[in-house]
Amino acid sequence: MIQKKICMVGVYGTGKTCLVQQFVQSIFSVKYLSTVGVKIDRKEVKIGNLDVTLMLWDLEGRDGTHDVNASYVRGAHGVIYVADGTRPDTAQQLIEIRELVEKSVGRIPSVVALNKIDLTEEWKLAAADEAGAGGSDLHRLRTSAKSGEGVEETFEWVARAAVASSGGDQ
Amino acid sequence: MNAEPSGSVANGGTPVTEFDALRRLLVGPEQHRIEELSEELQSREITSEQLAEKLPEAIALRGRRDDHLGRALGPTIETALRESIRRDPEEVATAIFPVLGPAIRKAIAETMAGLVRSINTAVEQSLSLNGLKWRVESWRTGVPYPEIVIKHALVYRVEEVFFVHAETGLLLEHVSAPGLKVPDADLISSMMSAIRDFVHDSFRPAEGATLRTFSVGDHTIQVEAGPRALLAVVIRGQAPDAVLRRQQDTLEVLHLQFAGQLADFSGDAAPFEPSRPLLEDCLETVLSTDTAVAKRRFAWLKWALPLLLIVAAIAAFWVRSSMRWNRGLASLRAEPGIVVVDASRGWRNWAISGLRDPVARDPSAVLASAGLLPSRLSGHWEQYLSLDPVIVATRAQHSLDSLGGIVETRRILFDAGSAELNPLAIATLAGIATLVQELDRAGAAAGRSVRLELTGRTDPTGLDETNTALAQRRIEPVAEGLESVGIPSSRIIRNAVASDNPLPAADPSERARINRSVSFKARVSAAPSTPREP
Repeated sequence: MIQKKICMVGVYGTGKTCLVQQFVQSIFSVKYLSTVGVKIDRKEVKIGNLDVTLMLWDLEGRDGTHDVNASYVRGAHGVIYVADGTRPDTAQQLIEIRELVEKSVGRIPSVVALNKIDLTEEWKLAAADEAGAGGSDLHRLRTSAKSGEGVEETFEWVARAAVASSGGDQ
Repeated sequence: MNAEPSGSVANGGTPVTEFDALRRLLVGPEQHRIEELSEELQSREITSEQLAEKLPEAIALRGRRDDHLGRALGPTIETALRESIRRDPEEVATAIFPVLGPAIRKAIAETMAGLVRSINTAVEQSLSLNGLKWRVESWRTGVPYPEIVIKHALVYRVEEVFFVHAETGLLLEHVSAPGLKVPDADLISSMMSAIRDFVHDSFRPAEGATLRTFSVGDHTIQVEAGPRALLAVVIRGQAPDAVLRRQQDTLEVLHLQFAGQLADFSGDAAPFEPSRPLLEDCLETVLSTDTAVAKRRFAWLKWALPLLLIVAAIAAFWVRSSMRWNRGLASLRAEPGIVVVDASRGWRNWAISGLRDPVARDPSAVLASAGLLPSRLSGHWEQYLSLDPVIVATRAQHSLDSLGGIVETRRILFDAGSAELNPLAIATLAGIATLVQELDRAGAAAGRSVRLELTGRTDPTGLDETNTALAQRRIEPVAEGLESVGIPSSRIIRNAVASDNPLPAADPSERARINRSVSFKARVSAAPSTPREP
């Protein structure tokens, strides 16, 4: 069985925690996020005939006072950048967040989750913003924690990318 | 370098050939040696030959210093051995056969010793007051007994060991104490790494310092960090430093054995499975019953005192009983007419068998007078005749008494007014004579002198003088009859009472009839009888 450390980062209130809550196994309370600054959950994914366990490090959201904690990102095999489609600034900030992450771990398999797609009325992300969120070179997916749309795909994508980048295993 | 001067000289102005020839003549062998040394120095690589020269010494040297060489060679030797076994298992089996037998024996012995130890512990616990208390608690609360013992007697227990990849916080291997369920070890492992980072970031300690120990309730988590991996142990209770030292040693060995795997780790924990035995070595449970040797040195006193009292009481009882038994047996053996052949004493019942003369005292009575309870005695006695003087005398006395009794019931009846023996009286007298002879013999055997008193009587009719004379006359033929069979007259007492003191009978005519008689009484005295006259 392969384990991968995957970090979930993004601006505060983009729904990172909601995104994973229904889809993962967890023993730690949400409280950890605001105390320790990270909450770790487990998500099992099947890539072909390979079982992959994602250890999801749900990092406390970035806000005016807190930045993404570089220590928690150390050694990660993949990153899920989460932005809120109803708040375009959360997508714009991904560039800075990504810089911070890559300064710590270098280029690793990453995916952008544009969350809250269920709120179609309030979706404020222009096509250009959406395409450039976190950098145009990144794969991106629209997700909804409410409907579950795109969530499994996001995990699978990052798992596949992480396994592929480690080489040899496949 | 050393070769250079020769080169520079060769390139000087002096003619080369002559000088060289001279030099070869003068320092040829030395030059050759210098060239060899120079080559050796320049080629820093060690030749196989040199290595072969130095290797044993080097190995010995390093082996004395530490055990890194052993650890480093371990995997290679294992691989070589595996390969060798794969190719020809029989070869290896033959080679290790001499070690295998003793090893198996040792393992069995150790298992047995362990079993005995655990039985001892169990017995000790179940006998002690605490053991009983814990059993009651276990029964009352429904918690298994071993759990209760651990709760009360636990010094410490290394319950879990996490082998964690340092950089990612991913779990490489995890072992836990038997019976302990830890379903989310991977989550805990990652979160533990996160918390270590959190503490480090929050308090910004000096370079290299990390969170090493944290406690919660009676659990302590000890984390040892190496360059590539962490080893975290979860300890319940108070662990000694030895646990930390073992943890550090294990982490070093893990780094050495899994150096490659740790460096190349990309999420696959399978290559770390062989680390399980090493991690399991860290798990241990230490109960206070294991270590309380010093305490136990005096604990025996608690048991020894009552035990001593009980032993003393039993011993006293036994000694008292033995003394009584011996006393009883001695008195039985001293008793005339009793021969003790066999005597055995059990806890409750005593059995004595032997020979007993019919006239000897009852053995039970003899023992009772020695203070032994006859109810606990089973006796088996064969009859015999004792030649013990006392018994012989007793036996004679008995026959004397019985013969005397018989003689005294007899009487010789006369017709009215007559002192003649009628034919019936003659026959009766003959029988009596025989009895008296026996009586005489019995008296001699008993060492007694027997005299026979003949009492002459008449019926009340007639004058007293006449009656007295008649009574005297009636005695005479009887006395003569006895004398004729050898009873000396000196032993015959004549007592003519006539009609005084008559023999009783309800009917007057019958009374008259039985009183016209001579009756007998045996008088036995202690004085020896005079020698019998023929």
